[in-house]
Amino acid sequence: MGLAAASSIGLGMPNLPVARVIGHPGVQSKEMLERNVLEVTLEGVIDNLLKAPKAAGTGDEPGARDVVVKGGFQEINDYFYDHGLSDGLPIVPPTREKVEQFLRHTDRDPGESLGALLPDSRAATIWSIAVNGVMAGCRPEYMPVLVALIEAMADPAYGVEHSGNTPGGETLIIVNGPVIQQLGFNYTQGVMRDGFRPNTSIGRFWRLYLRNVAGFLPHRNDKATFGNTWRVVVAENEDALKKIGWEPNSADFGFAPGSSTVTIARYTGGNHISSVSGATPEAMMPYLYDAVIRQYSWQLMFTVGQGMGTLRPLMLLSPIIAETIAGWGWSRADLKRQLFEHARIPAHEFERILRDWTQKPTWNLAEEARAGRIPKVFHDSDDPNRKVPLVWKPEDYMLAVTGDLTRNSVYVFAHNGVLGYPVAKRIHLPKR
Amino acid sequence: MAGNDGYYEALWPRSPRQARVKPLAKRLDTLAGKTVAQVWDHVFRGDEVFEFLEAGLKARFPGVRFVSWREFGNTHGSEEREVVAALPRRFRESGVDAVISGMGC
Repeated sequence: MGLAAASSIGLGMPNLPVARVIGHPGVQSKEMLERNVLEVTLEGVIDNLLKAPKAAGTGDEPGARDVVVKGGFQEINDYFYDHGLSDGLPIVPPTREKVEQFLRHTDRDPGESLGALLPDSRAATIWSIAVNGVMAGCRPEYMPVLVALIEAMADPAYGVEHSGNTPGGETLIIVNGPVIQQLGFNYTQGVMRDGFRPNTSIGRFWRLYLRNVAGFLPHRNDKATFGNTWRVVVAENEDALKKIGWEPNSADFGFAPGSSTVTIARYTGGNHISSVSGATPEAMMPYLYDAVIRQYSWQLMFTVGQGMGTLRPLMLLSPIIAETIAGWGWSRADLKRQLFEHARIPAHEFERILRDWTQKPTWNLAEEARAGRIPKVFHDSDDPNRKVPLVWKPEDYMLAVTGDLTRNSVYVFAHNGVLGYPVAKRIHLPKR
Repeated sequence: MAGNDGYYEALWPRSPRQARVKPLAKRLDTLAGKTVAQVWDHVFRGDEVFEFLEAGLKARFPGVRFVSWREFGNTHGSEEREVVAALPRRFRESGVDAVISGMGC
């Protein structure tokens, strides 16, 4: 209810009437749900269809470049916190002088909008990117990265409007290219740990922008059941990639070597896989296949169901693991193909998960395959024990080499499918 | 203020809303004899909720007719943009007078 009411404002229908369903249908018996619908929801539906809603009002807001508060550091921070404009940590006061420093690091017009971001439907302006970048503690020279990130956020393929969904997934940003060295990103030990300014402050910027411009605030449009805080930005270890002859993550999105890029996608969780050992594929790979399988249960609805081929598992590999795999003569594409072919589960288990844990009406892989809605690999026989993949094709796997140079670990992320699909954008440095 | 807390003039970190307020459709005088579309995002047991609502509305409004959610596709998922964009045309084709869209949470 609260979400529908809050979202309707950004859609230009602040008076859109909503009928209430008591409690959560997911934990009600059929009889209880029927009683609740007939005794409460039905009257609401009838009223909404037959009675004219109240006239819509529009609230006054500051102008795009207005000063909203003047004072000392504490006063500024109190104002921003009290007005839902900060994440609870102290912000750097976004003064005109600071914002203009950021704007000098882009050729884009400050008034240019990269798109309207739902649910608040606010313009993703270059100006607002600079303001939030200042607040997050970024340095002015990070501005081209921030612009690329908001271009990605505004890309319809990413689906920013889903960022307040129940699972509370959080975006991971991967950086590739010369910008890693130029801005001093951490790409070795503790790569996902705070403590490195570009990795940390740009990660914080992402969440501040989601709050302030897209409009995702807890208790309003952000309906994460538990949620997470923002993720520290991950940079790939391109030194290690060159050594083993692998292309970077950005190549999977069509970018030439030497391009600086950002890649975003949303993940509901993940797990560190320790002590990945073995000098041969037979010794090592079963551990990795198992690690991927264990990250995915209800998310299979993004393979067959709500998402249809939009599940994109991400695996971070420490450089030693990538070097060992490359030593077998495997390319990145080979590793993806092996994951596709061996990280599989019995078909009956796949169907059971969809049926029992996602509350979808019907799921039958044979029927979906015969109708041409999913690849034939999901139904190459009627054997319920046949193994089926977790994704539609090998290329759906994403890989990034990063982390401690001396440890043999991987990290597998549980992807949120169509509700945060991977998008990559080039980072454009200013010409002047 | 005393001390070294500084002085700042802080800018608004939001930006103007792009959506303009849209008028809602005129409400109906009655549902009797009208055609009501069901639109569903395939979550939160909407299939059952629509079944109960349909029974309840039929008992109250003689001649009310329903176009099932099965006719329109899933409004939440990988095909949502295409599905939502096609709704006005699909409603016209089906002679729809009113729409019930669910399920939020």
